[in-house]
Amino acid sequence: MIATTATLEPGRWLDGELPENVILGVNTIIRGDLAFKRFHSRENRALVVGQHCTLDGVHFALGQDARAQIGDYCCFSNAVLLCELELRIGNYVIVGWNATIADTDFHPLSPAQRIADAVACSPLGKERKRPLIAARPVVIEDDVWIGPSATILKGVRIGAGSFIEPGALVTRDVPPRSRVGGNPGQIIGRV
Amino acid sequence: MSVVPVHRKLPWDWYGGTIPENVSVDDSAYLETSYSFLLYRSELPEGVRIGRGSTTYLGTMFDVGPRGRVSIGDFSLVHGAWFICDSQIEIGDYALISWNVVFMDTYGVSLNPAERRKQLEALSTGPHRRMPRGASTEPVRVGRNVWIGFDCIVLPGVTIGDGSIVGARSVVKENVPSYAVVAGNPARVIRKIENDEVKQAG
Repeated sequence: MIATTATLEPGRWLDGELPENVILGVNTIIRGDLAFKRFHSRENRALVVGQHCTLDGVHFALGQDARAQIGDYCCFSNAVLLCELELRIGNYVIVGWNATIADTDFHPLSPAQRIADAVACSPLGKERKRPLIAARPVVIEDDVWIGPSATILKGVRIGAGSFIEPGALVTRDVPPRSRVGGNPGQIIGRV
Repeated sequence: MSVVPVHRKLPWDWYGGTIPENVSVDDSAYLETSYSFLLYRSELPEGVRIGRGSTTYLGTMFDVGPRGRVSIGDFSLVHGAWFICDSQIEIGDYALISWNVVFMDTYGVSLNPAERRKQLEALSTGPHRRMPRGASTEPVRVGRNVWIGFDCIVLPGVTIGDGSIVGARSVVKENVPSYAVVAGNPARVIRKIENDEVKQAG
């Protein structure tokens, strides 16, 4: 189907200079000025994207210790990837406009800890360490479709071939080839 | 109907584009920016029609395929809607559409993962790297005097009856009767509203 990869252009970001710890496969393109605006990862190979992907207007908001991996032939448009720990996305995954994938709670649950976090995040909190915040890896298997404005939360594994309806909020694992809709996301059928 | 075709730049536009020739905008309608047509590629004689006294603000995107047609009635206020259209999306008169609302008459992809793989492979070699369309379509109809809150999604095949209200962040999967308030994901009828339109409009 595809010409030998040697004849294809190396992966590139069309709107800026790619951070050193981002690796793109051949024929992969990233478009959008703000793609790496919130990219803070210091990991080696923080973001590894496979071949032939089209990533339009995606926000790669990776925290200091975050690692994200995306397979081949993926297509994301204006998705928001919020990653503090680990995000693994398979091949042939489509993520729609305004969809959000997050592997973290962003802040602690306990009120006292949240006060500590607010202080640590403030302009006066430079020296303070933020409290421990719950984060669990998100895994999206091959051939998954995630509709516009859908949200995938921490610790979720979405099984291969699943179809996540627009606006769905997914908080639990999804078996392969499920159709999921609603808030909270329910399995509404098979594909 | 005094709808005239426009082939021009908008004098107030921050974006340097033009309004495509097969877009009809009434003289009295206000279109904030030609950026709304970035993804527009309808080949029909009239791919978008915007009626008398209607407004479409920045944030509205006409993601209209070659066979798609979007029509917006008179005195409608569209604050920022994403029209994903491969057949027909019709918005009636006096509509109030909030920001970040998605209307889709197609999912744009097949439900079948094997078909989606073919689409993605075609995308990776296409000249503009835009997702090829070709999935099934079901027209969307929004009646007159409908109010849709922010961040809503209206799914393929849905008809929303006259005078209804759709609460913010709702996902509308099923038809909405006239003069109803719906909300939720999936959206459900939570109330009926009295049709006082005749008395009010006088």
